[in-house]
Amino acid sequence: MGSERPDPTREASDADAPGADAPVAVALAGVSKRYDETAAVENVDLRIREGEFFTLVGPSGCGKTTTLRLIAGFEAPTAGAIRFGGRDVSGVPPEDRNVGVVFQNYALFPHMTVGENVGYGLRFSDPPGGVSREQRVRDLLDLVDLPGSAGRDPENLSGGQQQRVAMARALAPGPDLLLLDEPMSALDARLRERLRLQVRSIQQELGITTVYVTHDQEEALSVSDRVAVMREGTPEQVASPRTVYRRPASRFVAEFVGDNNVFEGVVVEGADGTDAGPGSAEPVLVDVGGETLCVGGGGAGADGDAGSLSPGDAVTFCLRPQHLRVGRTDNGVRAAVENAEFLGETTRVHLEWENRELVVRTEDPLSGRVTVGFDPADAHVIDD
Amino acid sequence: MSDGSRGPVGEESRSGEHSDGGRVAAGWHRLRDRLERRALATASAATVAVLLVVFYYPVGTVLVESVVVNGAVTLAVFAEVVRDPFYTGEFARLFAGEGPLAVARAFLGPERRLGIVGFTAYQAALSTLVSVALGVPGAYLLARFEFPGRRTLRSLTIVPFVLPSIMVAVGFVAAFGRTGTLNTVLAAVGLGPVELMFTLEAILIAHAFYNAPLVARVTTAAWESVDASAVETARSLGAGPFQAFRHVVAPQVYPAVLLGAALTFVFTFGTFPIVLALGGFELATVEVFVYRLARDLNYAEAAALAVLELLISLSVLAAYLRYEASHTVTSRGVRPLPRRPLRLPELTARELLPRLGLGVYALVAALVFLVPIASMLFASVTGGDGALTLDHYRFLLERQRTGAAFQVRPWPAVRNSLVFAAASALVALPMGVVVAVVTTRRYRGRALVGAVAMAPFAVSGILVGLGLLRGLVFGVEIAGWRIAVAGSAAIVAAHAVAGYPFVVRTVAPGLESLDRSLVESARALGASRARVLRDVELPLVWPGVVAGAAFAVAISMGEFTATVVLATGADAYTMPVAIERFIGRRLGPATAMGVVLLVVTGLSFVVIERLGGEYDGI
Repeated sequence: MGSERPDPTREASDADAPGADAPVAVALAGVSKRYDETAAVENVDLRIREGEFFTLVGPSGCGKTTTLRLIAGFEAPTAGAIRFGGRDVSGVPPEDRNVGVVFQNYALFPHMTVGENVGYGLRFSDPPGGVSREQRVRDLLDLVDLPGSAGRDPENLSGGQQQRVAMARALAPGPDLLLLDEPMSALDARLRERLRLQVRSIQQELGITTVYVTHDQEEALSVSDRVAVMREGTPEQVASPRTVYRRPASRFVAEFVGDNNVFEGVVVEGADGTDAGPGSAEPVLVDVGGETLCVGGGGAGADGDAGSLSPGDAVTFCLRPQHLRVGRTDNGVRAAVENAEFLGETTRVHLEWENRELVVRTEDPLSGRVTVGFDPADAHVIDD
Repeated sequence: MSDGSRGPVGEESRSGEHSDGGRVAAGWHRLRDRLERRALATASAATVAVLLVVFYYPVGTVLVESVVVNGAVTLAVFAEVVRDPFYTGEFARLFAGEGPLAVARAFLGPERRLGIVGFTAYQAALSTLVSVALGVPGAYLLARFEFPGRRTLRSLTIVPFVLPSIMVAVGFVAAFGRTGTLNTVLAAVGLGPVELMFTLEAILIAHAFYNAPLVARVTTAAWESVDASAVETARSLGAGPFQAFRHVVAPQVYPAVLLGAALTFVFTFGTFPIVLALGGFELATVEVFVYRLARDLNYAEAAALAVLELLISLSVLAAYLRYEASHTVTSRGVRPLPRRPLRLPELTARELLPRLGLGVYALVAALVFLVPIASMLFASVTGGDGALTLDHYRFLLERQRTGAAFQVRPWPAVRNSLVFAAASALVALPMGVVVAVVTTRRYRGRALVGAVAMAPFAVSGILVGLGLLRGLVFGVEIAGWRIAVAGSAAIVAAHAVAGYPFVVRTVAPGLESLDRSLVESARALGASRARVLRDVELPLVWPGVVAGAAFAVAISMGEFTATVVLATGADAYTMPVAIERFIGRRLGPATAMGVVLLVVTGLSFVVIERLGGEYDGI
């Protein structure tokens, strides 16, 4: 239990490699993109740091790919400005932005060999590091683990190999910025997991600023330095994977990133019987559908803002399935087992309580009615 | 990222500075870069300029004559034309102020008058029906059956479309004329002569000869792109073979049939040489009257009539484009429907009936497509007495050797045709590619740009020729400078303008279906828009480019209408013009010249096709 507590020292590691003080590589200021009536991207402000692995994640239609295309220069924003290292790039065509792009379908040129594909960008610029073009192509194919495949036909490669050729091609001219648009989504699950680690290690080896677009939240959490969770054209939360997972900024983020149990209720009183004054880290009592639950108190600034709540306030909080303990009788509810999914290492059990669905994780299959309870400090109050 | 900061992968960013020699190279790079960046814009401007100079301006000058009389703008000439029952039949009364009901009643009555415009539309509609009736079974055969020579037959469907109309007319006279093949055969079995010449039927068959293969080509391509799994899904859901056809296949094939029909209507509505040769003035169409009026120097009325013709053609095309925008299924079948062997696998009614139908179709198709060409070949080696002879070819050789300067000689005609064809293809290809690129990008007003660029499809060839003759050949005075384009250059320009819409039609669909991310990947790698076109797009749509070139050459070699107007007096006559001059005297030399034209066109096609692969468009 104690090990689950947010540890203040961990927060430092959130701002890992690029460091919060790293210079800004790409900045979007008030960027919008509208097509006729509909807005694909609405008033987006983002600051992507140099050397950072930055991921745009969200359900389809949330504007993540449009944001990437705006950065690449394939689309022009309807409003706002995009800056690369302080330089406004509006009106700069894609070929002058010094970016590498990998598409979902890889877009390898079918009439060129693997080597010609990788070397294509070198027709317009000299290879970085003063090496010959041929050497650069060889180096890049080595980097993506496809040595000696320069003479092959892209059509004869597997999906994973094509993806890596596309990576090599995008990196060959030595771009300042790597843009990846769902580069894994056409691959099978196991390959995806292996390749995303490879992409991450290449990114770290080169230290290249990378913007990654995916709809897969697990993928986003596993590789990124920071994540922007997008919804309806706007980022709902921009933070490290840990923060996004532990302290979702909105109900949408809470439910989109991983399994979560979200409760809505009304504050009854401070846990010690007094009004919880602003800034206090004391837990509060919340009435959820007639049941009184104790929520918060995980330490100042660490988890949620239960401190600023007074009786009568509406409050939303969430609990990860692993924090909802079966058999714990205090601070909990009795719920009926609906069904269970055996996942191997654990079992995900869906419960029904007061017409709400709850999700818990257990070792053993459950049935009938069970009691589930939680430690108030594990609950995260969403500050919507 | 910012200026001066280094790229993470290497020491130098792309536009790295080098030594002195490098600086020269860098300067050259920059210059080339700048040229490349502007290549597309420059090519677009050049295309617009060519279109303005050889199409919109000349056509405009003629059109102006129909609305400007004695320096004042007036619609009087135009109004006169539409109110003249001679042109617009019963509709004239509508323009004269009568109620639509009265006009409709008169139209349904026994004494209805169609007028020239009405007759033109009538024969175009009938021609379209016949062409669709002949074309769709051909598509069925080509798309659904496997047999030896299928691919060759498919390639051959382009041949009638590119044959010069004047040659087709000669072939038809040789086949269906009073002493033609058909009557010879009929006489041999004791049947009386059939008078087909100067009848509507002859015109309809000639139009079908031209346009049915066009319908077949577009329909075959659509049929082949139907995904087999869609049909299989329908079948698994309980649809019978016929229902699956009706619900899944037919909706994907209709748009193609309609495209073929719309183009057929427009082509046959503006028909000129076929009607002139096979219909005479009794069955004259609008275009023939435009020609006649222009010849009588009545330019105002000719232009007004041509405008009316253009409006009708454009509204048909617009109606089709409107339909296409809402109905075309763009997804291409991943797995096409399997072809059935043409040879009967078992003797059942289900297997036998379609093959019997195709057998009947083959006979009709042979009569329409093969007999005219065979008859022309035969007539070119047959003397007046019916015996085989090489006299007509000897006549051509003789004329070549001893012909006077004012006489039409064969070799200059062949040489001019080849030179004009090569030159106009060189002009039409970049024009067509540029228009294809510009119209496949998505932006507001794209449809308008497309329509303006494709207008040469629909505008009267006589009008263009006339405009060119009066506007450019005689010279234009602009700010004190007299600009005149010589006969040959004007012919090349006219041919290029006539041919480039075909390049657009063959290149644009390929560009449209190319994965957008291919272009974007290349752009992100540093290629300018023009470089992407050269390095990625054109290589991938190369068969379409070659097909476009073939069309441009064929259109140029067969073009008659504008050429005959522009080649007056000069020695810039081409093979079709030579045929027309010969036909005035005797059929024999004309057929021999027609065979020469057939051979030269065929050889050019073989050479061009060697450069490209199989092509599936129009």
